[in-house]
Amino acid sequence: MSSSRGISRVTEKTWLRLALPLATAALFLATWHFSVLWSGSDLFPTPLAVGRGIVELARQGLLFKYIVASLYRVSVGFCLAAVVGIPLGLVLGWFRPAYAAINPLIQVLRPISPIAWIPVAILWFGVDDTSPIFLIFLASVFPITVAASAAVQNMQVVYVRAARNFGLKGLLLFRKVILPAALPQIITGIRITLGVAWLVVVAAEMIAVNSGLGYLIIDARNAGKRYDLVVAGMVMIGLIGLLLDLVVRQLEKFDEVRWGYGQR
Amino acid sequence: MSSSIQQRRRRLGTTVALVVSCWLVAVTLLHGGLNLGWFAEKQAARKYRLGFLPVTCHLTCPVTDFITREKTGEGLFHPMRFNGWPELKEAYLSGVTPATFILAPMAIALREQGVPIKIVYLGHRDGSAVMVHKDSGITTMEGLRGKKVAVPNRFSNQRLLIFRALRDAGMSVEDIQLVEMPPPDMPAALYAKAVDAISSGEPFMGQSELDGYGKVLWLTKDVWPDFISCVLAVHEDMIENDRPAVQRLVDGIAKSGKWLDTSMDNRMDAAQFVAKHYYNQDPRLLSFVLSKPPDRVKYTNLTLRKKDFEEIEELGRLSGILAGTAKFEDYTDASFVLDEAGIVPHQYPLKNP
Repeated sequence: MSSSRGISRVTEKTWLRLALPLATAALFLATWHFSVLWSGSDLFPTPLAVGRGIVELARQGLLFKYIVASLYRVSVGFCLAAVVGIPLGLVLGWFRPAYAAINPLIQVLRPISPIAWIPVAILWFGVDDTSPIFLIFLASVFPITVAASAAVQNMQVVYVRAARNFGLKGLLLFRKVILPAALPQIITGIRITLGVAWLVVVAAEMIAVNSGLGYLIIDARNAGKRYDLVVAGMVMIGLIGLLLDLVVRQLEKFDEVRWGYGQR
Repeated sequence: MSSSIQQRRRRLGTTVALVVSCWLVAVTLLHGGLNLGWFAEKQAARKYRLGFLPVTCHLTCPVTDFITREKTGEGLFHPMRFNGWPELKEAYLSGVTPATFILAPMAIALREQGVPIKIVYLGHRDGSAVMVHKDSGITTMEGLRGKKVAVPNRFSNQRLLIFRALRDAGMSVEDIQLVEMPPPDMPAALYAKAVDAISSGEPFMGQSELDGYGKVLWLTKDVWPDFISCVLAVHEDMIENDRPAVQRLVDGIAKSGKWLDTSMDNRMDAAQFVAKHYYNQDPRLLSFVLSKPPDRVKYTNLTLRKKDFEEIEELGRLSGILAGTAKFEDYTDASFVLDEAGIVPHQYPLKNP
């Protein structure tokens, strides 16, 4: 009796977890659809027109190509940012003088929009894939550095004291205590930063590349009255953003990371 | 206990490293194959890159590329499409595109700032319009008093055109509100009545007409006959180091211009292949602006004439974008086409395929 009630509660939970977001999506699409109909606009597309636009792109084979191109640029730019930003952030978090010296510069560079860097990127790197990758790198490296340094600074002092009592020093202390203790916050930083990296894909692809979801939006603006494709590009960016977030969240399931999150 | 923690931690590290590197390799190979043509046959020689935008002012660029490819199997140059003026200009400045289609006043202004740029040929004549909303009731320049008028860029000839039309109507720029806006956004802005009038190169003006909400206030040919907006410009080094290449480029462009103006069939043909292979626009739109009326935009009479440019210089000074320090002889090299009558149009479609 009690076990069957337990199962039904679990299925009810799963059901709700699927039904709630789907209901929100349906409500959103219906509002969109009827707003377009009521406003009588023949420029702004309905969700159906956008769906047809996505199917058209898929049939031409463009959709897959563009998704791959954007994912490539974001993957490379983001990984470079992680490789540079995480070690830099850890060092800044641990050594106070380094933090005092470098943090102001980071805070100056951090709020500059990637769009402002476009001319610089073209002058330095030309107009192939390097420029968009550079812009995505720039957009990601500062948040990831800040997350990693804050993770070390916010670490509980008791871990380090305990480790020192056991005689841990130098690199060993770093590897065995500091890095594991900072990991949960770093993973959260990675999750947020990946969202930022994906966010700037449109701006990054304003440069003369000829593929990618950002390029799709800019190209559709040039193509006359193809706002269905503009919105199709937006929808694809949103959906892939959701998938990326789901993938990165898998990292939070490892025990080494999970301990750092509050249980609710 | 401690060893199992270490093992697990190592497992986290290895898993992440493995997944990330597999992903990077996979997505790089896919991108290389699908978008960069890594696994396709290599092209023969590296070609000069020529910058252009998907507008009718630059139509001779894709036409030349398409026809030379059809005839000889390879293009004269590598056409590189941009989506906006700033990126096109920056690519020229950084040396990525040694040759480019560009706004005439922008080229002159760059020369004034010391950039080694030479205009070698015109892109087109006419091919612009001022459009108002069909419900606006505006029929004259006077009707634009106090209204919001969109132009593509401060260095665009459309802005100079507005200055000239205002001057002819006895008005000044103080009488209207001038705003800068990328041409692709203009039709929607006019549709939404966010602006009262729009002005840019085709096909964006034709689009608002074709879709039924835009009305021609006037076409360029009615206000400023033989109007020039875009020109073909090359880097001075290219003229110095590889003059034959510049000559081939100008010849190809000139032949395409002649070919476009030889018959309406050629224009309709161009509308199809350019829309499909280069501009990614509805061919109906290009057909419309190339035929209604046929002299909406012209591709002959494209040699450089001092008189035309002096007029641009004067309006440029009036509108505050040019200082007047660069002269016609500084920013042009008219030696590539001395006699326009001698240009033979492309033979296309091919007689014996």
